[in-house]
Amino acid sequence: MKDLFGVIAVFDTAEAVKNAAARLRQQGYRAFEAYTPYPIEGLDQIIHPRPHRLLPGLMFAGALLGAAWGYWIQYWDEALNYPLNVGGRPYNSWPAFMVSTFEFMLLAAIAAGFFGMLALSRLPRLYHPVFEATAFARASRDRFVICIEASEPSFDASVVRREFEQLGAEQIEEVRA
Amino acid sequence: MTMTLPSEFLPDAPVVAPDVTLTSLSEEVSSRVLMDRAPLWWWIGFALSFALFTVLIIQMGWLFIGGIGVWGVNIPVAWGLAIAEYVWWIALASGGTIVSALFFLTRSPWRSATNRIAESMLLSAAPCAGLMPIMHLGRPGLFYWLFPYSNVMGVWPQARSPLWWDFICLLCYILMSIMYYYAGILPDLATVRDLARSRFKQIFYGILALGWRGSSEEWRNRRIVYAIMSAIMAPMVVSVHSVVGLDFAGGLTPGWHDTQFPPYFFFGAVISGTAVIMMLTIMVRWGYGLHDVLTGYHLNALAKVMLVGSVMLGYAYVWEAFGPLYGSDVAERTEFFQRIFGFTAPLFWSEKILTVVIPQLLWLPLVRRNQLLLFLISGGIIVGMWQERIMFTTASLEHNSIPSYWGHYWPTVWDWAALAGTIGLFLTMFFLFLRFAPIVSIAEVREVVEQERSK
Repeated sequence: MKDLFGVIAVFDTAEAVKNAAARLRQQGYRAFEAYTPYPIEGLDQIIHPRPHRLLPGLMFAGALLGAAWGYWIQYWDEALNYPLNVGGRPYNSWPAFMVSTFEFMLLAAIAAGFFGMLALSRLPRLYHPVFEATAFARASRDRFVICIEASEPSFDASVVRREFEQLGAEQIEEVRA
Repeated sequence: MTMTLPSEFLPDAPVVAPDVTLTSLSEEVSSRVLMDRAPLWWWIGFALSFALFTVLIIQMGWLFIGGIGVWGVNIPVAWGLAIAEYVWWIALASGGTIVSALFFLTRSPWRSATNRIAESMLLSAAPCAGLMPIMHLGRPGLFYWLFPYSNVMGVWPQARSPLWWDFICLLCYILMSIMYYYAGILPDLATVRDLARSRFKQIFYGILALGWRGSSEEWRNRRIVYAIMSAIMAPMVVSVHSVVGLDFAGGLTPGWHDTQFPPYFFFGAVISGTAVIMMLTIMVRWGYGLHDVLTGYHLNALAKVMLVGSVMLGYAYVWEAFGPLYGSDVAERTEFFQRIFGFTAPLFWSEKILTVVIPQLLWLPLVRRNQLLLFLISGGIIVGMWQERIMFTTASLEHNSIPSYWGHYWPTVWDWAALAGTIGLFLTMFFLFLRFAPIVSIAEVREVVEQERSK
């Protein structure tokens, strides 16, 4: 027999899954996660209540670094390594360097956001135990799934099952991986 | 993500048809990707596109052997179809980002179903744009000299030139667009993965989906990043096309040397890009039978964007005439009169009719509901914008400041082959997007479906 990863419950509306998450949180559950076909307003604050400011900060840092990088390339090129007199303009003609600096800034900000998003979501991760549940496949289509993981300190499969039944789950399944 | 519906119009055409559910939406859109055999129209379209694409290969082969003299470019008209079409292609691509990023920020509900078409269009058009100047280089094998990297030759690009800014813009634009597209499509790839039946497709889309599960944490991260990305992409695309305008405005040639050209070019991007999206949306809607997801609401909204584009363009045209007429530069004025009454007059006047006069029909709701008319008007706009770019590029060079230096430009068969070939490349890539990636953003339309349901 494979190890028990957790118990999942399938709900059929966004409101139901939100209520269920709020209730579980109230009862002291911490190691649970909701899987939904589209982002549900407020659900992430219930499951991960800590405010989340890392990603915007990361993109801002990316923007600053990108701008510095872009300006430095041009400064190194035009003023230090290959000084070229174009129409008597100063070697460090900063107004002319602004366009490329701007583009490098945006590129680095977007790249920081894109890779930061993957890293903070721990992607790519091609396998996850929750994929073992047959009911899970519909979480990417039309159903709203909550999984309470066995790592929960007071985890008891039968208690969790009863809890889900009370919350009106459509289907309950043990996830073994 | 809150979406509001304007109440002013269309009680008869909701954003998505009322019988669309989460289940039917996911299955409908995914089945277009997962079907074992592509429909006949796809094969016919793909075969024609690929045939045109081979024209590009042949054209490039002959061009690289013979040099750019095989084209009609000459002195004084050193920039011909290839450069004008570079501008045209990048304008079409920019339109894709405008529809996708700008209307994400305004929370327009119609953007959800059309943004993937717009972005697929942009990713297909941007390589066509990028190829044009490379083919025009004369020594295309050395194009990598444009990259600012430390090299053994000890030379660097000239960073004060708008032409180099343009290269950096296009490079950054393509890279950013790929990331923007991928951040958007990730949940949809997971949907396709979960619906795939064959082992090969499960693995293929499984790898592409990177293991997306739709957990609340993943959604939160994606939402934050996607919103900021959109806020970055919108000004980004303005800068990209403005810098294309600076390529010309930075030159001293009469007719080019004007500060109005960065916005002038951007207005052209709004109207021509939206026109391509309109045509592709109508074709995807019929070809894939997605009438209940891509509804009259979307076409109506795109038509309004085109209308705004044509009004803005009309404004730019007024200033195009005002500058030379009000200013005291004889060369500017001569060039302008040559442009509107001389060799390029047919291009000039028919283009104004196609891009500014005829689109005024879009004020009428009746026209905005008629797909055939929308298709024809959009086609006219795209052709008109092509004429505008050609006329703008060549007419100025034909009538330079020195009359003894005047000349004419006439494209050769290889110029036309470059145009046909890049259209082939564009369509080939778009057909591949159509076949292998969900062409409607399933995740975002789900939110619209839920909004509609709860009303």
